[in-house]
Amino acid sequence: MCVLCGGFVVQEHWTEGRGSTGAASVTVGGGASRERQRDRRDRTAMANRILACYGLKLEDWNGSKYIVRDVKGSSEIVHDLGALWPAVEKLIKKTADPLDPALIGRLQQQQQQQQSGRP
Amino acid sequence: MAANVKIPVIILSGFLGSGKTSLLTRALKQPQLANSAIIVNEFGRMGLDHHLLSRVEERTLLVGGGCVCCSMREDLVNACMELLEDMQRGAKPRVDRIIVETTGLADPSPIWFTVLRHPVLQHHFHVESVLVTVDAVNGMLHLDSHDESIKQISAADRVIVTKTDIADGEEIERLRRRIGQLNPAAEVELTDSEDTKSARFFADNPDSVRSPRTRCAMAAADGGREGRSAEDGRNGSGGHTDATHSVSIRFDRPLDWHAFGLWLSMLLHARGTDILRVKGLLDLGGEGPVSLNGVQHIIHPPEHLDGWPDGRRTSTIVFIMKKVQPQQVTSSLLAFQHMLGAVPYVLETDLQFPY
Repeated sequence: MCVLCGGFVVQEHWTEGRGSTGAASVTVGGGASRERQRDRRDRTAMANRILACYGLKLEDWNGSKYIVRDVKGSSEIVHDLGALWPAVEKLIKKTADPLDPALIGRLQQQQQQQQSGRP
Repeated sequence: MAANVKIPVIILSGFLGSGKTSLLTRALKQPQLANSAIIVNEFGRMGLDHHLLSRVEERTLLVGGGCVCCSMREDLVNACMELLEDMQRGAKPRVDRIIVETTGLADPSPIWFTVLRHPVLQHHFHVESVLVTVDAVNGMLHLDSHDESIKQISAADRVIVTKTDIADGEEIERLRRRIGQLNPAAEVELTDSEDTKSARFFADNPDSVRSPRTRCAMAAADGGREGRSAEDGRNGSGGHTDATHSVSIRFDRPLDWHAFGLWLSMLLHARGTDILRVKGLLDLGGEGPVSLNGVQHIIHPPEHLDGWPDGRRTSTIVFIMKKVQPQQVTSSLLAFQHMLGAVPYVLETDLQFPY
């Protein structure tokens, strides 16, 4: 579905695949499921680095949905990254824009802190 | 269902009077296109009759929040569903492709969205390429005065310059440069009324179904080759187009897909209507590249390609944007570099600014 409209899910969001070849492949039992779970965990961790700048946190909910929360306890359930940003907008009351100089500044700060924290 | 058993849909767009129908009429006389279904949206077409699937009136159904690019073309859905039903009942033989000709003022993105997102159509059809015709004589004028024309060029995989027999060489060259600036990812080809091989635009080599997209993606990766100078920029950008910019960005290392997905989905949510086109090849650390293709809010599911063009392994992305400056995109990508795992650098842009 459109990232602007959010809405019902009729198919996988484009961020959840990294390119199919269209060819059949052989997977060992549970392999695809493990990979999917790993992907979800990595995606959540990466999203949290960005969401930290807005005081938000994303959690994986039973491997099927995500929950995004703010520090005051408000939360939104989202199905995929397409729905994440409209939910973030609802919680922070403005659009999360990657071109926003304030966000860029905070990310740079985050990075400097990480670097100075290292031995 | 694998992509290669889906029926390709080719979108033919172009400004009023740019020669869409003439091109199609000529092309349909050639045997390669014999088994094609055609959907046009204006009455009184000549020469297309025996191929014609339906004449439809453009009827657009806005879905969700009602942004224009994310709308279903109801007319197209009906025509395609009807065709599908006829083919499945055996009333009609399976067609090799569907060619959808839009009206001169139409934005091709709703057609993309319809084929990509309709619950039934998405399993039976895929958009193979977007062809846009530009008139060699009046093309420049249309680009200067009509935003629709710019939008069409931005959405194109292939731009076909028509009527080259009645325009002079210098004019054609200027137009080509202008198109190259607007959409560095598109292939530009020439045709005229004597062209007897125009079917090549619609039917590529039959044994490589996905070739046009692959080649276009490669063209995107090669975007920098033609080196456009500052002088070209001055020649090209007149009046209305000042707001439209393109930028090609490369990355020095493989990208983290999750980080890139987050960044791009966030960008499209915030600035979707201003990002006319995103196109490129990504190095995600796997064997072959992953092709990325998006028009406004709509991103085509990424596809794995077999090999890198020219064996050169590097992520290249072309952005065509309205109201967004190339340096905004690069400074954002720079801030995200630690998540992306790669440092972006600008390959080329239609603007001159220091880095």
